[in-house]
Amino acid sequence: MKKLTKKNKRTVAEINKKIKNGDVQVLTVEEMKKLVESSGLEIAYKEIDVVTTGTFGAMCSSGAIINLGHSDPPIKINKAWINEVEVCHPGAAVDLYIGATIMSETKPFEYGGGHVIEDLIRGKEVELRATAYGTDCYPRTRLETTLTKDDLNQFYLINFRNCYQRYNCATNSRGETIYTYMGKLLPHFRNATFSGAGCLNPLMNDPDYETIGIGTRIFLGGAKGYVMGEGTQHDPENRFGTLMVRGDCKKMNPDFIQGASFTKYGTTLYVSIGVPIPILNEGLAKKVAITDEEILTDIVDYGVPRRTRPKLGKISYKELKSGNITIHDQKVRVSPLSSLKKARIIAETLKSWIENASFYLSAPVERLPTDTVSKPMKQTKEIAFVENLIHPAVTCREEEEVKAVAKRIITRSVNHIVVVDDQEKLRGIVTSWDVTKAVAEGKEKLVDIIIKKVVTTTPDEPIEAASRKMAQHNISALPVIDREKKVLGIITSEDISKLVGR
Amino acid sequence: MVRLLLRFSEKVVGQPITAEVILEQGVPVNILSAHINQLGGEILAEIPSTHLDKIVKAFRDRGVTVTVRKLIEVDSEECFDCGACLSLCPVNAITLEKDFSVVFDEGKCIGSTCGLCADACPARAIKLTR
Repeated sequence: MKKLTKKNKRTVAEINKKIKNGDVQVLTVEEMKKLVESSGLEIAYKEIDVVTTGTFGAMCSSGAIINLGHSDPPIKINKAWINEVEVCHPGAAVDLYIGATIMSETKPFEYGGGHVIEDLIRGKEVELRATAYGTDCYPRTRLETTLTKDDLNQFYLINFRNCYQRYNCATNSRGETIYTYMGKLLPHFRNATFSGAGCLNPLMNDPDYETIGIGTRIFLGGAKGYVMGEGTQHDPENRFGTLMVRGDCKKMNPDFIQGASFTKYGTTLYVSIGVPIPILNEGLAKKVAITDEEILTDIVDYGVPRRTRPKLGKISYKELKSGNITIHDQKVRVSPLSSLKKARIIAETLKSWIENASFYLSAPVERLPTDTVSKPMKQTKEIAFVENLIHPAVTCREEEEVKAVAKRIITRSVNHIVVVDDQEKLRGIVTSWDVTKAVAEGKEKLVDIIIKKVVTTTPDEPIEAASRKMAQHNISALPVIDREKKVLGIITSEDISKLVGR
Repeated sequence: MVRLLLRFSEKVVGQPITAEVILEQGVPVNILSAHINQLGGEILAEIPSTHLDKIVKAFRDRGVTVTVRKLIEVDSEECFDCGACLSLCPVNAITLEKDFSVVFDEGKCIGSTCGLCADACPARAIKLTR
């Protein structure tokens, strides 16, 4: 074996030879970091051939392609469902794509494409239903059958965006709990969530993609898989690189691939990915020594439903993994969304595969791009914001009498009166219904009927978000306020109807 | 606090057992719900967890069937230790171990009076018992 020096680098072929001979030196990336810290870079580089990484997170752009084989008489499927989850027919007669995020038509938000994929991998039987328009060569128009993975010709995971290099830490400024793809976020920054395995993450340990690209053999769902190239929205400059991957579901282990449900958001698939990083040069040894402390991400306010959400600060994965972070000087508990325990198990399993010579490394045919950018969507129509529809609110004071307010409702012909204080700050709201009820019940003081818990909006909120709020709370108007809770005006569902009908 | 389900048979239901246990043990027993008549029935009660063993014994000695009601059930087969529940718990009953296992302290859990974690579980592994 040749001696390693700074100039004398390792090759993947040499590492594979060592794997075959049973003398390859493999560490999980966490073990490698410890070795670099204790023995220094040079020794770590000389001694270690490969490090293994791992991540296990919700990866929504996942799905599986299946081939059913032909029925008799044959069918050219037009629409199909597996366990009541609509599956897509992207190609010829009997090829189907099971998208992880497509939800069951009978159990939405609880069961979806991700669960179908998991059930099939588990060996469970699923129910297929299909319809077709019928052709001369494919006359059949209806099909119902049951299937297991053994009945399928091909069953491949084809995921077009997986394995984000790092991800945001999410929190919520709103006065209500929101359910997002980053999990459940409590009101007023009362909790936070984050995703990604930090220093265990595959792409974070080879940030210039020296060893990862088309054809890289990886751990995927408990079996061998391959990198097809960069994933969609791959954004290397911002350290938000992604992977497109493929793997044989028939060989996968259900412990490493799991359907999941995010309440009021949708279904997805938790995917496990482990990438071996050959330590080809000392530079790579240095790169894989990156610690959680050095990996920073943004704390982002998911309470603002805009493309660019407000950033509230930077945070390291070390702090995130500690369970507590600080937002606006407040201690806030933080949840991981991806399983750090599984990430570790993935790295350990991949390490044992390499040591047992059941997994060989492959050099990429082409490396992942390092210069692509992820652009925002081109939109040809301007969207409307609350500020485009706002009009002055008819207001009153808490100490007024019901009668006076009733009069104002008639003279100004409105249904909502916003209650304000001397500084025009929001105190509550009353509707024509509340006033009618108060009159019927003989109540005189307005203070007895004011609704204090008011759902509000801000001028920069998109109309669609404001409209969603009204629908969710079953109300027909939102006072528009500024940061200091000063009332700027009001928007009503009538305004929105007019806008839509325009 | 711990919830106890107390089942009274027809044989013992005529005696003031709950009152006796409270007086004997000097521990507040909070009755949350009761379905009981002269033929027997059951009471759902809440007691301080520190006195669990003694109270259970006192009731059992008097012929009452006692079940310690779990407030929360976590299906360890389904749970994949993601930790999404962690930051939602107001009583710090859910923690991340050194090996990143997610662990529930059922003694601290306040159950269905809170329930924030249940619908946040991507694996649907958390069930609140009512």
